[in-house]
Amino acid sequence: MAATTKEELELMLTERAQSLTRQARLAAAVFSQYSQEQVDAIVKAMTTCAIDNAPRLAKMAHEETRMGVTEDKVLKNLVASEFLYAQIKDKRTVGVIKELPELNMVEVAEPIGVILGLAPVTNPTSTVIFKSICCAKTRNSIIFSPHLMAAESSNLAAKLLYEAAVAAGAPKGFISWVDKSSRLRRLSEILFSHPEVDLIFATGGTQMVKAAYSSGKPALGVGAGNTPVYVHKSCNVPSAAMEIIISKTFDNGTECPSEQTLIIDREVADELIEEFRRCGCYICNEEEVEKVADAVIDARTGGMNYRLVGQPANLILEQSGIKVDRHIKMILCPLKGELRQHRLAVEKLMPVLGYVLVDSVEEGINRSLDINYGGGTGHTAGIFSEDDAVIERFADAINAGRIIVNSPSSIGGLGGVYNHLNTTLSFGCGTGGGNITTDNVGIKNLINYKRVPRRKNYLISFQTTKNIYSNPGSIEHLKSLKCKNAFIITSRSASRRGHLSMVTENLPAGCHSDAFTDIGTEPDFSTIQKAVQAMRFSKPDAIIALGGGSVLDAAKIIRLFYDYPELDVKELAVNFLDFHHRMVEFPQVMKTQLVAIPTTSGTGSEVTPFAVLKDGYRKVSMIDECMLPDVAIIDAQFTKSLPRDITSDTAFDALTHALESLVSTFSSDYTDGLALEALRLIFEALPATLKNPSSILFRHKLHNAATLAGMAIGNASVGVNHALAHALGARFNIPHGRANAVFLMSTIEYNSQIPSKFVSIPCYPLWVADRKYARAAQFVGLKEEAVADAGPYAGYILALRRAVYDLGRLAGQPLSVGELGIPLEEYMAALPELVETAFNDMSVRSNPRYTLAPEVVELFKGAYAPRERP
Amino acid sequence: MINNEMRVRILGQLDRGVDEIDKMLISGDGPLEIDFSACTFVAVDGLEWLEELMLRADSAKRSVHFVNVPPVIYKVFKISHIESLMRACGGVSSNKSSKGPVC
Repeated sequence: MAATTKEELELMLTERAQSLTRQARLAAAVFSQYSQEQVDAIVKAMTTCAIDNAPRLAKMAHEETRMGVTEDKVLKNLVASEFLYAQIKDKRTVGVIKELPELNMVEVAEPIGVILGLAPVTNPTSTVIFKSICCAKTRNSIIFSPHLMAAESSNLAAKLLYEAAVAAGAPKGFISWVDKSSRLRRLSEILFSHPEVDLIFATGGTQMVKAAYSSGKPALGVGAGNTPVYVHKSCNVPSAAMEIIISKTFDNGTECPSEQTLIIDREVADELIEEFRRCGCYICNEEEVEKVADAVIDARTGGMNYRLVGQPANLILEQSGIKVDRHIKMILCPLKGELRQHRLAVEKLMPVLGYVLVDSVEEGINRSLDINYGGGTGHTAGIFSEDDAVIERFADAINAGRIIVNSPSSIGGLGGVYNHLNTTLSFGCGTGGGNITTDNVGIKNLINYKRVPRRKNYLISFQTTKNIYSNPGSIEHLKSLKCKNAFIITSRSASRRGHLSMVTENLPAGCHSDAFTDIGTEPDFSTIQKAVQAMRFSKPDAIIALGGGSVLDAAKIIRLFYDYPELDVKELAVNFLDFHHRMVEFPQVMKTQLVAIPTTSGTGSEVTPFAVLKDGYRKVSMIDECMLPDVAIIDAQFTKSLPRDITSDTAFDALTHALESLVSTFSSDYTDGLALEALRLIFEALPATLKNPSSILFRHKLHNAATLAGMAIGNASVGVNHALAHALGARFNIPHGRANAVFLMSTIEYNSQIPSKFVSIPCYPLWVADRKYARAAQFVGLKEEAVADAGPYAGYILALRRAVYDLGRLAGQPLSVGELGIPLEEYMAALPELVETAFNDMSVRSNPRYTLAPEVVELFKGAYAPRERP
Repeated sequence: MINNEMRVRILGQLDRGVDEIDKMLISGDGPLEIDFSACTFVAVDGLEWLEELMLRADSAKRSVHFVNVPPVIYKVFKISHIESLMRACGGVSSNKSSKGPVC
């Protein structure tokens, strides 16, 4: 029944749209089950059909549209089938389509669903062939909305390919089309906004493409073209002339990437123009240019006259009132005056080509930009040049999705024939042309990519000082050191205790030495600079660091700035979240060897890649493998005269290192072993050393414990305890080990509770801090305490905390902030600053419990009151 | 038939209507259960027949349930946006619940 009223007509069109989209929807659903092999068989059958029917469809398209050249349309149909097939036949579009083993990731294809495909009047059959094959390859359904002036040929192409596809097993209804009628445009509009259409694949006139983008649906569109082609003086002129003629006359210039304005170096202009003339082109004089412009440009819009699109040159000359009595391939118009204002400096989809002459590469690029930004931004440009530098400059300046080199820009832009661009009939123009892509749009744009990233294999490595000499008396190893000029970095107290002479007496025979003895308890950068300055005079080939943690840390930094004076301390101290992704780059190789001789049993700096420097009220850390000393001499003779308080402070530093590295998110089997043995040695040797301070045996064990714990933190890092201690130590000038000790009871308890927030770090897949503390307790031989209504590890954790408490009390070690003698008011006044400093300390990044700011506050507050045995 | 409930299994490809099920719909009066565990493929004609079956079942006031639907087939039902098929699976339609792209 024919519709009579406007409403009835609208209802009928809506029902037709519903019918088209429903069959496409069902086909898309069914297509989701197809395997790659099934899809490829269908694509092959469709391609064969397209090749077989290429001449028939080309002839029909030409007859229906009266545009272009039948022979060229045959070529376009073949490019859209044969060339496309060659490019896509082996591509995977089903299931896993890409494996990225280096990223531990795969990509899996998900079809788009239902696509509304627009087909233009200029390429009515090749576009349909291209889009149909692409949709089959990607398991999508497509509904074609053809151009009214080309609907018969477009729809026949769709029908032929659909029948071939179904015969090869494709789902019923996966290709459909809007029939030619006076309501075609309205039906297309309804489809634009139909809820069952998933994507609009728009190729066609600017208005249709804009309508597609305005539909609110995802759309793949194309932009307008206006291709500038720069003919540089270095090119092969006769070849350039022929390629340009091939391109601009291809299908009578209907290809939108085809040349629109030539920018010709004056040096080769005469030769090029003469070659054009010789090959059958018509070169207009100034008067004729105006006549051609009057004919091919629509005076109302300033754009091309659509009646002449795809028409032969002779017809255009005739319409321009220019009489010629021979066959003309192409019309060339010199564009005089201001190029940007010239009527012919626009897209002309016909064999009419403007040209200008230029005197330099700069001018050539600028005039090309005038055309490029004059209506064709993002589309296509071309260049003829044998000079790679000129090509690179041109490509850098021009905004075009494809910049065709020494080839016809029209057929070159299609891809696959003259180059390895993806074959397409849809030229993405990027944001310059109002599009989402600059691709030669094809199958890759018709797939939803599902990325399946597997968990990263986090790189766990282990580094430490290469040569470690660890027995009492090992200072004698210095004698075998290969050096002629040693620079000893130490503190004044080392000299007083006779340590300096122990070193100098053991230097190799003939080795000259200088000493810098001004390293204080917590050196700042000015001290580093002084030492470096002193070394510039001395020119040593070895640095010997002799002292506690501050001296050893300072020596690492001094060596760094001595070897690489151009480094910037602020850049090196930039914080980081993950060692593998940090911004800072340290030198790969150190030039001067560094020997570390610790005189306390605490920091383990002789085997760590860390160095801490005081910067006002905060401490900055530098961390890199290059900071590791080359040699460590762990000789307990240097510690036998250590006072009781320093012995205890430094032992508690080592104890903290062992406990924090054990539960660190970066801990590994390697660091666990070191941390556990360090703990065992400390619990055994500290009481014995305190009881018998001159016992070299227990000093030796304590010294080894500090080094083992140093190796553990050197690879597993520390935790929140250090963040708190760094802040407290810097603010109240508390020795590092002592500052660590006052928080230890709190942080063991804190870290052994199920975190209020888990740490998100790939190398820490399971929170295990509680069982690791329990394991530590068992390893040092503690007995499980009775704890009611607690978790499975609570008894051992309590035993560990009691053991730490008992050890602290035995050593007379302050175990709370209040026990340090800091007044409560002063402490509370400093609390905001302490919290901020601790929260920003890198140490918290490897803590097993994600440390929230309010929790830092509570840790500081909870650490003030004198401790009682837990 | 168990407890007045009719059960039937789809074997292999569902590329057309299944006469046996059509007859069961006419002859019986209890719930009809269609087992998809051995179904390997659903074609467009199969989908259209299932939709029609659901319409006829509604008219006959018979309830039809799909059971043991493999994910591949279940996804076909999802993509097809046929509400009645999702109801037969005991799920909700994929297109009706969505109000557009969300982040």
